[in-house]
Amino acid sequence: MGDFSYLVQFFFSGLTSGAVYALMAVSLVVVYKVSLLICFAQGEFFVIGALTMATLTSKGLPMPVALGLSIVISTAIGALVERVLIRPIQNTSVGNLIVMTIAISLALRGSALLVWGKESAVLPPFSATPPIQVLGATLQSQVLWIIGVTLFVLIVIWFFFEKTRAGIAMRACSENRLGASLMGISTQKIAIFAWAWGSGIGALAGMAVAPLLFMQYGSGLMPMVKGFIAMSIGGLGSIAGAVIAGFLLGIVEAYTIGLLSSQFSDTIVFTLLLVLLFFKPSGLFPASGRREV
Amino acid sequence: MKLINRFWWMLVLVFIALYPPTIGGMSPYRSGLLIFVGIYVILAVSLDLLMGFAGQISVGHAAFFAIGAYVSGILTAKYGAPPAPAMMAGMALSAAVAWGVGRPVLALKEYYLAMATLALNEIVVTLIVGLQRLTGGASGLRDVPSFSVFGFSFDSQIRYYYLVWAIVVLVVASSLLLTRSPFGRTLIAIHSDETAAKTFGIDCAGYKIRVYVLSAVFASIAGSLFAHYMGFLAPDDFSVMTSINVLVMLYLGGIGTIYGPALGALFLKLLPEITVRLQDYEMLMNGAILILILVFMPKGLFGILTEIRSRLVARGSR
Repeated sequence: MGDFSYLVQFFFSGLTSGAVYALMAVSLVVVYKVSLLICFAQGEFFVIGALTMATLTSKGLPMPVALGLSIVISTAIGALVERVLIRPIQNTSVGNLIVMTIAISLALRGSALLVWGKESAVLPPFSATPPIQVLGATLQSQVLWIIGVTLFVLIVIWFFFEKTRAGIAMRACSENRLGASLMGISTQKIAIFAWAWGSGIGALAGMAVAPLLFMQYGSGLMPMVKGFIAMSIGGLGSIAGAVIAGFLLGIVEAYTIGLLSSQFSDTIVFTLLLVLLFFKPSGLFPASGRREV
Repeated sequence: MKLINRFWWMLVLVFIALYPPTIGGMSPYRSGLLIFVGIYVILAVSLDLLMGFAGQISVGHAAFFAIGAYVSGILTAKYGAPPAPAMMAGMALSAAVAWGVGRPVLALKEYYLAMATLALNEIVVTLIVGLQRLTGGASGLRDVPSFSVFGFSFDSQIRYYYLVWAIVVLVVASSLLLTRSPFGRTLIAIHSDETAAKTFGIDCAGYKIRVYVLSAVFASIAGSLFAHYMGFLAPDDFSVMTSINVLVMLYLGGIGTIYGPALGALFLKLLPEITVRLQDYEMLMNGAILILILVFMPKGLFGILTEIRSRLVARGSR
């Protein structure tokens, strides 16, 4: 392989992780827009989705069925979590909500550990097509699946938020909660809906990337944090921004690993996050009428 | 009497510090366990100063725990430095890091603050894993000697027990005095309403940084004590999970009370010993505890205890 094909190879791996970060960012944005809450447990849905699908396929279910079932299970857990755990403390402090999502993350991760143990699950690729050669670099078919899934999710989201009544109600909620509730929209129902969406998308991201990773109960933290980084680069409330930032982050990370250092890539990414937060601390907040000093 | 009334919990701590190993004839296993408890009490109390009093959320407190442990470990094990100055070097580095990042980090709020502290924790851990020559990397740092001061070695379990618990009592007592001082009341004012505090001319950023530095220094002490007790350090002990476990201790015991987090640390570290083979259930249990506390008893165990006590006192005086 020549030098150029290395660069192409890094680009492919950046595209792969970028797609995952984009999906994670989108799942965070959807929840944030409606409930002004960033869920630290989002990475757990990523893991639960993938591990559920791995279990179902190993039980002999055909892949599409396993995928569908796994999405249903993850969305149900997400909706349940909102209804049972978030709502009772909704009106206390933001600090409590943050700690609650951390608690949910611990509980879900702990449950995943009990259900699946410490071994990592292997999910076969979605299709058995052999890898293709592009410009001297290898492109695995699963990467195409991941990007396809990302595009599919984006189209579905766009359709939902622009064309359906429920989607428009959700947007109304994120614009103005009180106003929406005065128009007869049940903001509580909408919040459950948003969590269902968020966990479903997170789970889908996990399933899509699982064939390329060793997925185990603790794999959720990093995707969540990277999703958060993408979300804040993209400007919090914007789905398009989150997607672009997700891909950007993935590609920058891939070249950092490839060209600079694989050992310190996370150090670099996290330092970038700190720098980003330092220089745009209040600029990153949406103008939601919350008091800012 | 008034003094006892105010500091009655202190007596319990002093009792734990003095009683068990010699007079109580406790087994080495149990006193070893209590050494761990003591180290985590320091860690939890230091986080309480930052979170409970100043109201600054941190999901990365283990960063300073790690700095203390690794500076102590590296200087003593690799360079043969005496433990006490090594511990102070750790405290100095922790203070410097907290001071350096404090202003921008603490200017953040809510999710951003949580994420920035988490990032700090990850940076420290990835550096420990990456700087293999210095830290031993993922396979760990070996042969950290036992603690000694001026030639007096704390090499036996009982000696180390007294050292750790003496420091626990010191840290708890100074934290209590601090929170009841004008400084502490200013922190509480910043916690409850930063805008109002600012209007009164309080330098909020300055106060937050000072408490952050103090809290980092305490955590660093806990780290050094941990390093000399274990004799072996691995990055896993300092991950975000550790930070989160300290968070659980804080909420379980009762955040913002100093005694509460101490109680939380005691409870959370001893619980796995009482219930048989918790292991894989531990994470789920910690999550469940945190959820239950948040929903049903936000004041934690210490809140319940003070409630019981005040009822008893009220009954007695009638």
